[in-house]
Amino acid sequence: MSVITATSTLDTSGKCCPMPIVETNKAMKSLGLGDILEIIATDTGTQKDIPSWCERTGQTLLSMTEESGVLHYHVRKDR
Amino acid sequence: MKSMAIVIRDDSYDKILTPLVFAYLASAEQTQVDILFVNWAVKALTVEGAASLCMDGRHAADEAMVRENVAKAGLPNDIYEILKALKASGCVNFYACSLAGAIFGVNEGNLIPEAEGIVGASWFLNDKAAKADHYQYF
Repeated sequence: MSVITATSTLDTSGKCCPMPIVETNKAMKSLGLGDILEIIATDTGTQKDIPSWCERTGQTLLSMTEESGVLHYHVRKDR
Repeated sequence: MKSMAIVIRDDSYDKILTPLVFAYLASAEQTQVDILFVNWAVKALTVEGAASLCMDGRHAADEAMVRENVAKAGLPNDIYEILKALKASGCVNFYACSLAGAIFGVNEGNLIPEAEGIVGASWFLNDKAAKADHYQYF
């Protein structure tokens, strides 16, 4: 299994919709093309929201994992 | 979705949260959002009005709990702070309905600077709502 190295990490633990998406959008703006953002979330709504946001904004969702109720996403900035 | 138009009528604290959250989500996708505040909700476009929004009726007793949970979710629990954050996104415009302003006491003198101005509902319906990809009414 290949390891994804994140350029930066955003921890939204404890926060709920819309903040994980709003903060992901802000964090991505500060990254360069090809950079990878790791997003940590506990809001289960992000399991649908983050893939949808990536599709809408042209970013690439590289991975989505869940462990003990904590969700980890890796998103590559492509636009 | 490139654009969304919203009309907000309900002015209770809990009911105004939903359209503002939807606007927040849309702005995070660079969707242009135009919001017309009508009826009592126009008061939310004044500093005093935004600060005075509260929960009505059978839910009134739960207001402190709701505000606490809103803060826990990461949102400002003050409506004016949410309006400022939405404006700062660069994707959201607020408009006060001119009729509502005349009835409920909102004018250029007390309108928050984050609002685009006081407009006729006909202009909003024709130039914003009818042309938007998506339209919501709260």
